[in-house]
Amino acid sequence: MSISRRVFVKSGGLALFSFGLDPLFLARAAFASYRPLPPSTVFSRPILVCLFQRGAVDGLNMIVPHGDPVYYRERPRIAVPEKDVLDLDGYFGLHPRLAPIKPLWDSKSLAAIHAIGSPDATRSHFDAQDYLESGTPGVKATPDGWLNRYCQHDREHQDTPFRAVAFGPQLPRILAGTAPSLAIEDLQAFGLRAPQPATRDRLTRAFEELYAGSATGLLSTSSREAFDAVQMLKRLDPGQYRPANGADYPRGKLGKALLEIAQLIRADVGLQVAFADVTGWDTHVNQGASEGQLAGRLDELGQALAAFTRDLGERMHDVVVLTMSEFGRTVRENGNSGTDHGHATAMLVLGGPVNGGKVLGKWPGLDPAQRFEGRDVAVTTDFRDLFAEILARHLGATELSAVFPGFVADPARFPGAIRG
Amino acid sequence: MKNPVVWRSLVVVGACLAFVGAQHAAPLRSAPPGPALTPQDSAFHALNRLAYGPRPGDVPRVVAEGVMRWIDRQLSPDGIDDDRWAQRERRFDILKYDRGDLAALYAEAQRERRERKLAAVADTMADKSEANPIAQRGRRLAGEFADLAVVRAALSERQLFEVMVDFWTNHFNIYFAKGADRFLTPDYIEHTIRPRAMGKFEDLLIATAKSPAMLFYLDNWESVAPGSTPPAALRVRARPLFGRRPGLFGPVRDPARQDSVRRRALERMAKGINENYARELLELHTLGVDGGYTQQDVIDVARIFTGWSIERPQQGGGFEFHDWAHDTGEKQVLGVRFPAGHGIDEGIRLLKLLANHPATMHHVSRKLCQRFVNDDPPDGCVDDAVAAWKRSSGDMREVLRAIFHGPDFWAAENMRAKVKTPLEFVVSAARAVAAEPDTSPRLAQVVARLGEPLYLHVAPDGYPEREAAWVNSGALLDRMNAAVALAAGKLQGVTVVLDSLVATGDADQLIDAVNEKILGGTMSENTKQVLRRQLADISDPTQARALAVGLAIGGPEFQRQ
Repeated sequence: MSISRRVFVKSGGLALFSFGLDPLFLARAAFASYRPLPPSTVFSRPILVCLFQRGAVDGLNMIVPHGDPVYYRERPRIAVPEKDVLDLDGYFGLHPRLAPIKPLWDSKSLAAIHAIGSPDATRSHFDAQDYLESGTPGVKATPDGWLNRYCQHDREHQDTPFRAVAFGPQLPRILAGTAPSLAIEDLQAFGLRAPQPATRDRLTRAFEELYAGSATGLLSTSSREAFDAVQMLKRLDPGQYRPANGADYPRGKLGKALLEIAQLIRADVGLQVAFADVTGWDTHVNQGASEGQLAGRLDELGQALAAFTRDLGERMHDVVVLTMSEFGRTVRENGNSGTDHGHATAMLVLGGPVNGGKVLGKWPGLDPAQRFEGRDVAVTTDFRDLFAEILARHLGATELSAVFPGFVADPARFPGAIRG
Repeated sequence: MKNPVVWRSLVVVGACLAFVGAQHAAPLRSAPPGPALTPQDSAFHALNRLAYGPRPGDVPRVVAEGVMRWIDRQLSPDGIDDDRWAQRERRFDILKYDRGDLAALYAEAQRERRERKLAAVADTMADKSEANPIAQRGRRLAGEFADLAVVRAALSERQLFEVMVDFWTNHFNIYFAKGADRFLTPDYIEHTIRPRAMGKFEDLLIATAKSPAMLFYLDNWESVAPGSTPPAALRVRARPLFGRRPGLFGPVRDPARQDSVRRRALERMAKGINENYARELLELHTLGVDGGYTQQDVIDVARIFTGWSIERPQQGGGFEFHDWAHDTGEKQVLGVRFPAGHGIDEGIRLLKLLANHPATMHHVSRKLCQRFVNDDPPDGCVDDAVAAWKRSSGDMREVLRAIFHGPDFWAAENMRAKVKTPLEFVVSAARAVAAEPDTSPRLAQVVARLGEPLYLHVAPDGYPEREAAWVNSGALLDRMNAAVALAAGKLQGVTVVLDSLVATGDADQLIDAVNEKILGGTMSENTKQVLRRQLADISDPTQARALAVGLAIGGPEFQRQ
């Protein structure tokens, strides 16, 4: 598979349809988009968008095991009532506030992986986030993040300043490392800042001349990338962007980040890996059920993902969105109508290449005897199996041992999130 | 520098002579800089490496004093008058709080946050902790503490000392945002790192091993011999040891309930050794990754440190050794036997062994040479430093002295060979324009924006010394923005005085002054031409000055040191 993907990448995607990728991504009715494929689709590259639910999302209330009485027994106050759950397969269902992405499930472009997590038992946010981002559970000294290591080792993709972009004030650990990657807080403010466009252009030109004439070494290459990026964005004019297909992004950081990611994808600036944080999942107190704190966060997530896929329309053909979180939460609710730090959680994968309409992974069950340390959902899928599958089958990565040192990526253990 | 070969050999000859001298005589005063290096060049170089760059007037001052004499003075920070900074330091409220105060503040903020959530109406989207005044105070203090590092580096006369504080802060990295380290970090910097930044390595190593901040960061406080039970668990009174919620295990009388509390307490209790600290101690703090230790060594080191813990960690307590948690069996580390039946003493013995191990000397010396000489440190520099380490039993002042007196420090290929880190860039820029920062976290925010927020490197390896880690296109643009804003006086909380720096005059005078005072005479022809073109149509002298200074600080020459 990975070999043919490399051929695909090299040949510019001309062999697109021979891989059995269904060109009718997304049941069109769901998106009311009947436009023919734009020419850029044919030449576009696979793209991965990672959303980090920082703070440990309660996988059990996101992808609800409503077919299991233990779920209702353990969560008298915070279980999502049967009548509200959006059933997926008779046993699992979506939280009602994720209704905006239900059409993606129906069109088989959305899959969930349940009981996924880290082989390391830590319940510390700090350690678990660190392990998820470094891709080396249990090893603290890993200097770089796994997304960055992917960029270091896959040289097939052309390096553009926008190859790997994190939306936020700082580069997250997952993208830290020697491969060039950008942190962008606001596309419009990227580059030299000045109140007047004329001043801004003047400063940009002056610095560009300074660096072109006198910079050496890494300062020289980085500055050239910087000014290329500024040029590209100037042509792009992010202030004028209007989402397509009537997509309506929710207000807030996530909506803005996904809008800007969509914009970069549409602009064909070479974006391959995008990353954004979504916070507010550490629901120790007053978590809520169909309504409440967690519902509010899922509402924003669902709306933002729906707007993103609607906006990109046919371009979703080459895009995979992956949600991840450092661990899940306790099966039993706590004394404050919340949940405490647990072990396995659920992750979502959506997009054209996704083997959707399924809850993947081996479900360990909720009975106390089946739980991890008697209290948490056990991990049956190492998150690296999912990450490795997406890197290999979607992005065409070949050097997985360099991306996940000390881990043997075995296709037999891939959860099957990407269509083969 | 016209003939690099001749120049280099002269430097080497000069340095060798100097070194021969060093074997016999008292500290050298003025030999190392080679004859081809002007006094201005050597002063500029020394100010860029031992200090956070020159302030206006520093280069001529160091030239007048003699660069080697200045270096010697920097090596004895206690002898440097720093009254002006001592006055300024009092404005930082954070220094009035000890770790117990900060822990109490943190606990209070947490409690208020919980209560708010409990009281919250069902459908609040996210918690609005911004509205919490106690949390706000905590955030302000944390911001102030990050800023304190930047302002100290900018204003203190004890420049080399501040550089070394930064070096050790990275070498013995902790993470400000991990649990109790939110209130333990200021104490760690002020009372563990700073008093020992230019002393014996062994003392610093032992102090970090015992510091609550490190014990918490690398989890050693929870490391116990398998099967050990705290006496407190049997009395069911051991509150903070077990969990994050002190209130959970109050005095309990009902026996049934007591049993359940005990069960829960035991459930939460650490169940065995935790190797995190042991591993990083060997790999990062001392021997280095190729230091010749095995996984079995890591395990035995972890066993030696079982029981090294924190007294009341959630209340900002200090170091405490727990006899009950200590593994008293025999251990063997690096072939050295640690006989059975010992307690805290074997940990101290091990730290002394590690501090004076040849692999440690090499590993730490190499990092110092990387910091002060070149990202790829020359072997000669490392050898000199190791030799000084042996002679002085790890006295950092002697190790540093050997580096600054060595030929590599002054070699042509190492001049301007390093790119400033975000902290070095921001501080050197502030110094270049004689900035007067207040206690607001503005400058620290710029450092964070450039990619290396203070005390917030997650992994225990600290911010790397190699430029590839921080030079990238986004951060470079942010440097340019910061430079323009700083020169224009638009960074809030930072007063900039350009008058003393550059008198207004015609463009050529302005460019010459900027070249001499900010770039130490390293301005390229290209930069001069660009500046000349940029200044051509600007008639307002203040504006012209701000533009020239902004472009110089944001430009390529200033990024190097």
